[in-house]
Formats: sequence, C-alpha cells, structure tokens
Amino acid sequence: MTPLVRALSAELLKLRRTLALWMCLIAPATVVVLLVLQMTFSRGPAMQPTPEAAWLMFAHGVLGIWCFLMLPLFVTLQSALLAALEHSENQWKHLLALPLPRHVHYVAKWVALVVLLLVAFVVLCVLVPIGGWVLDLLKPDFGIGGPPPLWMLVRTSAAAFAASLLIVSLHTWIALRWRSFTVAVAIGMSATVCGFLIGQSERFGYWYPWSMPLHVMAGKGQHLELVVLVGVAGGLVVALLGPLDFGRRDVS
Amino acid sequence: MTPAISTRGLTRRFRGSFGVGDLDLTVPAGSIYGFLGPNGAGKTTTIRLLLDLLRPDAGTIELFGRRLDRGHRDALALVGALVEMPSLYAHLTGRENVEVTRRLLDVPRQRIDAVLRRVGLEDSAHRRVREYSLGMRQRLAIALALLGEPRLLVLDEPSNGLDPAGIVEMRALLRELASDGVTVFVSSHLLAEMEQLATHVGVLQAGSLRFEGTAGELRARVNARLAIRCGDAARASALLTANGETFVQDGDTLYVTLSTRDEAQVNALLVANGIPVSHLAREHASLESLFFELTAARPAREAA
Repeated sequence: MTPLVRALSAELLKLRRTLALWMCLIAPATVVVLLVLQMTFSRGPAMQPTPEAAWLMFAHGVLGIWCFLMLPLFVTLQSALLAALEHSENQWKHLLALPLPRHVHYVAKWVALVVLLLVAFVVLCVLVPIGGWVLDLLKPDFGIGGPPPLWMLVRTSAAAFAASLLIVSLHTWIALRWRSFTVAVAIGMSATVCGFLIGQSERFGYWYPWSMPLHVMAGKGQHLELVVLVGVAGGLVVALLGPLDFGRRDVS
Repeated sequence: MTPAISTRGLTRRFRGSFGVGDLDLTVPAGSIYGFLGPNGAGKTTTIRLLLDLLRPDAGTIELFGRRLDRGHRDALALVGALVEMPSLYAHLTGRENVEVTRRLLDVPRQRIDAVLRRVGLEDSAHRRVREYSLGMRQRLAIALALLGEPRLLVLDEPSNGLDPAGIVEMRALLRELASDGVTVFVSSHLLAEMEQLATHVGVLQAGSLRFEGTAGELRARVNARLAIRCGDAARASALLTANGETFVQDGDTLYVTLSTRDEAQVNALLVANGIPVSHLAREHASLESLFFELTAARPAREAA
C-alpha cells in the first residue's frame, strides 16, 4: 500500500464516533427541514405554478441556502474538526516522527475533507426529493407533483461541489496551519459573512472564493463555467502549495 | 559497531532561549542511554531534532549509520518514540489507537496484540482512552512506539506523572527491551531513576553536552570520599592536615577525599598515631551529586 492510502485508511478510523461524520447528515438535513417549514408556513405564490415549477422552486430554495450559507460554514467546521483531531493532543509529534513522507498527512486531511463534503452533497441530493414529498403532504397547495427534478439537482450539486474546492483547499491549509480551533472557525465565519456583501457584487461576486458555489446558480448561470474552472484549478493549486508549507514546518 | 545515534555539531537556536549548540552525541547500540539535564537544558529540543520534528540550524544526525534530515526520513523506521505527554485519540479505544498507527506503518495485525500484551493493556484495550489513567495512557503510548519493532526507542521523560509502582514497571520494561537488543535513549531529570537504569550517560546543561560516557566513567571523574568517626576529631584533623589530606568536617564526622591514600592507608595513619577509629566507610558519589557538580560548574548564562 502506498503511504497515502495508508494515511487515508488511518484517517477513516480516526473519524469513528466523531461529530464530523454526523455533520454530513445534520448540515444538509437542517437546510431541507428549514425550507420545508418555511414553505409550509409561507403564503405561497400568487399564481399556482406547474408541478415542475413548484419542484424547481423548492430545490432551488434548498440549494441556494446550502451554497450561500451552510456550505461555507460546513467546510469551515469540518476542516477545523479534522485538524483538531491532531492539534488537540499535539498528535503531530507522533505522526511526523513516523517514517512516512510528511506531506502524506496533509494530503490525507484534504482528501478526507473533500470526501466529507461529497457525502454531504449526496445526502442533500437524497433529502431534497424526500423534503419535497413531505412538503406536498404538509401543504398540497404548494403544488409539488410528478417526479423530482433529479437532473437539475445532480447537475447543480456537482457544479457547486467543484466550485467549492478552492475554499476546501484554503480551509485545509488554515486549519492545519494554526493550532487554534477558534482561529480556523473565526476566519471561516468572517469570510462567510463577508460573502453576504461581496457575493452580491455583480463585478466581484463570482471571484470571491466563499461565494463561488452560489454563483453556480446565480442569474441564468452565466458564471457557472468560470466558477467551476477557477474552483477546481484554484483548489488544486492551493492543495499542492499547502503540503510544501506543511513539510517545512517544525513541530513545537 | 555503528552507534545507534551519532550527531555532529548539532545546533538549533531559538529566539530568547538556549536551544542546543554543537552537540556531538554518540549513543552506542544496545545501551540504555540516560540523557540528563535540568529542565530547560535542551533535552526535548534534542529529542525533537533526533526525530526530524525540528530542523537543525547546523550539524548532522545519523541513526545506525543512516543519515536523517527532511529529505531522508527512512531511518525513522528504526525508531519508536514517545515525546513528552502521550498523544492519543481520546474518542477511540486503546486498540483503535494502536490500529491507527498500525495502518500508517503497515505492519501485520498480530503486532497489535503483541504490543498490548507487552505493556499489559490487553484487558483494557476495548475501553476508550478518555477513561484511561495517566499511567495507562503512558503505557499505550509505549505500545505505539514499539509497534514497528524499533531498534531504537526514544523516550522523553517517560516517568513523568507515573506513581511509584508505575515507575518500577517502566524501569522493568525498559530493561527487558534492552535485553532484547533495543537501544533505549531516555531523557530524564530524575537522576536516581537513571542511576539504576542507565549504562551510558550524557549530561546536558544550557544546550551544551557537559559529559558523555559510561555511568562508571562519570563516577570515576569524581573521587570517592571516606567518612571517618574517631575518638578525637580535633587531633585527627590536625594529623590529616599535616599529612596533606583534604577533608571537610561535619559534626564529629570527617569526610576525607580519597586521592593519594586509599581507605586502608588513611586508617593505618590514624591508628599508628594512637587515634582509635570507630567508623570508616567509603562513599561512592551518586550520579546526583556528580550531576550537580557538572551542571553547577558554570553559570548558565555563560553558555548562552
């Protein structure tokens, strides 16, 4: 087995019984439940939409809140939790004294975060149809009917996932670079709050890493290709630079 | 025989503190090497350098003749280490903790039971580490260090926080490992502990190595002294002074530094001059007294 595969298998075991694993279910479920409740208690559209349009409205609502707010916070929290596994008791002095290349530990954390985010997206794609059916039961007036918009859901999710790789890489570096959980969370929360303003800017919004996932859906999707490209390319560049910095670091 | 650890000119400075300077350590393979020094002398810094956790400003490290630096870390496969307090995953069981390191090292699964048995944790391995006592955590950390069947075990203050029974157990375990041919490099400020354990000693103060050699060589550096009680201390001291002996008096006991005469000759001198000797005992210098002599020899700031 290569060192990276060994480190990934160790990473998987370390996640046992952690909040990080549960968050893959809790975070998307929170957004879906919130939207179901909001649409159940709202007055509903003035004109009755078609069943397809009602489905799209619900799915867009969920994905919008997810990409705008929950996704950046999810990446922040998960990266901090993954890093805290090693920072809390200074595991680094054990891990980095093992005869593995140092960068392997960094890359394993990055892959773990990517996989956790991917799992959360899959859970979201499963929960949106379930949420829609529940909404239909609670409020038939909303007009949901027919099959859920699976293609739109998967396509938008895949693009948003790709566009979030840049913040995944940035937060992996931030969380591993500083030992403090607070620093990692404070940076992520501030960046997310800044996204409220910057993300809405027509000129700069789609260049702001924490708003890139949202811009997959913005307008008519005119920035989709750009944010996916920059998200993936930027994510890979930062993911490659991070281990260089990590490899030089001393363990105090 | 190639030494287990050999450093040449090893130096690492920190802003505002000593670090370590120009260390030439030679740790013979198969030895139990006591790495002694007061707190802040640079023991942990040295150990971190030996494990490539810190990069040196200058100097080289070889483990069993193999170079160790950021670009050459293979030699770490020969080493098991426990640096300061054990680093463990409290939410995992003891066995799962060992399994994490086993996956990283890619050693056979049977090794888990072997190391848990060796440190006496096989019955508690299913419990989560957050329920462990400090002594159990320490033993589990030793199990992790032993997992890769290292030829060199590096331990930083392993007795810290252990109760007396735990210290005795730790000492027995280290002796057992040494008898299996494992070189044990153990730092400590507990000198009495090392006196019973170490075959070789290095003494570090303010970042410099003050002494390195066998425990016997260290003792030989300071002459033994003779404690004498006799009928007439005043006459005895006059006689010893007249004969060129150096001594100190503490109550009615005279402590003579043995240099030119041995104890029999000192006794004969006193008796021949009509001074009856009621007590005569040769006292070996303990490592503790030697240590203070070595480390107090120079004011700390001089070496900075």
